[in-house]
Amino acid sequence: LRGLELEDSDGVPVARLPADVDAANAESIGEVIAASFSHDSPGVIADLTATRYLDSTGIDMLFRLGERMATRRQSLHLVVPEEAPVRRILEIVSMSDIVAIHPDVTSALGAVRGDGAPTPAS
Amino acid sequence: MPEERRIRAPDAARDAEQDQEVLEDFKLVTDPSLAYMSLERQLSELLERVTEITGADTAAILLLDPERDVLVARAARGIEEEVREGVQVPLGRGFAGRIAAERRPIAIEDVGHADILNPILRRTGIRSLLGVPLVVEGRVIGVMHVGTLRGRKFEDEDVRLLQLVADRAGLAIDNAQLSEQRALTEVLQRTLLPEALPQIPGLRFSAKYLPAASGIKLGGDWFDVFELPDGRIAFVVGDVVGRGIAAASVMAEVRSAVRAYTMEGHDPVTVVRRLNDLLIAMGRRRSATLAFMALELETGELLAVSAGHLPAVIRTPSGETRFIGEATGPPLGVLPTANYTGETYTFPLGAALLLYTDGLVERRDEVIDDGLQRLAEAVAGAATQGGMSLADAVLARVRLDTSLEDDVALLAIESRPLSDQLALTLDAQPAVLSSLRRGIGRWLAAHGVAAEARFDVALAVSEASANAIEHAYGPADATFAVECRYSPERVAVTVSDTGTWRPQGKRERGRGMDIMQMLMDDVRIDRTDDGTRVLLTKRLGG
Repeated sequence: LRGLELEDSDGVPVARLPADVDAANAESIGEVIAASFSHDSPGVIADLTATRYLDSTGIDMLFRLGERMATRRQSLHLVVPEEAPVRRILEIVSMSDIVAIHPDVTSALGAVRGDGAPTPAS
Repeated sequence: MPEERRIRAPDAARDAEQDQEVLEDFKLVTDPSLAYMSLERQLSELLERVTEITGADTAAILLLDPERDVLVARAARGIEEEVREGVQVPLGRGFAGRIAAERRPIAIEDVGHADILNPILRRTGIRSLLGVPLVVEGRVIGVMHVGTLRGRKFEDEDVRLLQLVADRAGLAIDNAQLSEQRALTEVLQRTLLPEALPQIPGLRFSAKYLPAASGIKLGGDWFDVFELPDGRIAFVVGDVVGRGIAAASVMAEVRSAVRAYTMEGHDPVTVVRRLNDLLIAMGRRRSATLAFMALELETGELLAVSAGHLPAVIRTPSGETRFIGEATGPPLGVLPTANYTGETYTFPLGAALLLYTDGLVERRDEVIDDGLQRLAEAVAGAATQGGMSLADAVLARVRLDTSLEDDVALLAIESRPLSDQLALTLDAQPAVLSSLRRGIGRWLAAHGVAAEARFDVALAVSEASANAIEHAYGPADATFAVECRYSPERVAVTVSDTGTWRPQGKRERGRGMDIMQMLMDDVRIDRTDDGTRVLLTKRLGG
């Protein structure tokens, strides 16, 4: 899928979303991300750092993904830089009521690991 | 010691009457009216005559593949497996290979002792062989040979007769090959050149591909326009060295590779570096020049990477022309260690850009600087009134050297001049949305509208357009219209379609409505029997 990159950061899937998430690609992006996480991963990170435009179709995809993960006791975490225009859109639709939004991947990873099942002491 | 005789050139003074007879008999197979037959069919008809005329048991025609310097069996009689098994003989080796390389007839009385590469000739039990080169206008295009199962000492007379037939056949084969190759190459070209250039708001594209004057020479040039994953618009023009099917097929590979590497998210410089690695790895002894540009619509920033390609011409809004995007590295496929870099330019509103291949500027007996100078003048003076595209206008002024045996590709990009209005008609496809947003962003930026307001308007228009696209069920070629008006006080946009508004459609559409209302100061929806119009207004300044 054009511009979508999937990575695994120590068991946490990180999906880097493309510059545009809209009616042309949102549905497929949602499917790819949904297929990327396994049952033992505490959560998934959708990184919107490179995303310039996110339309209502994209927002809907993120909502559905968040809901779907919640039913499996997993969580969706978004990465959106403070100054990104996308952040305003997410605020308008109250995305943060359902999904956690972080300014960078590091803090998102910390949150995913923190709210996942406690890792056994090594 | 191979039993073989060197044969003198055919004696010119021979029975002309007999020649005439042979040729009469032969006319049927070389008649141009048979050109509708495939080359294979013509050749096999031809060989039937050849065996009759020469009293031989077998006959075969091998044609030279000049790309690889091998003779490939194309038709055979009595030894049909030659063609089926795709017999190939390297130029200069074996019986046929030597005939082609030495451009002379060779007769072998006893195959058993001779240097024969092709096992089929032995397997079939052929005892004696006679072969002649197929020569057209001084070029060897192949070999024709006949064989007998019983030992036969071919006489000078036999040689002369076979050469006579071969000369006549050579012309027919050459013609058939040319039209076959031309047809194939044209199909390839048609498949590869973009059918329709994309619709990018604020940009007007025009392009031309002209095959070379002599048809067979077409092949290696192409152009392409597509969107990068980051929303930039890519312009590509390239030229694979060489002509014909071989060049066209390399072109096809390079063209897809450009798109493939780009789609993986690589920036243009990396794409060009990878293309270079690819061409070298392919080991096809092919090089290509390539100009790859990426335009950021909102800012007009233009990145140019050139692998040995001629510079592009840019015409500023004031009408001056200059060259940009000089080669930043050698042609692709030449130097494994080549390092390509990108140069950044500005492509302002009202400017025009022309990418092209060398066929546009090269003329016989002229240095390339003269051609470039002529092109710059043509672009400066090319007027595009009366519906003529910039590509056509430039072509009309450059006056191509029609004798030049090179194809020409050119791609012209015009940035619409600054105006208070922007009217667009777009295909009702979600794929148009990303460039629509950027086109509007570019237009507003040119009016000095702040980034946040640009973003709001672009996204709201995109939401209204997504609605219009969703309404456009039915004909696949449905369109919708976007009209934008700017004044220092406000931006007003109308998005209209011919479908029916479904307020309770998919729920994201409801969310889309919310977004529009949050981003804009006023949102109105007019529904009529003819369709739906969404009017969006945003106040500016203060």
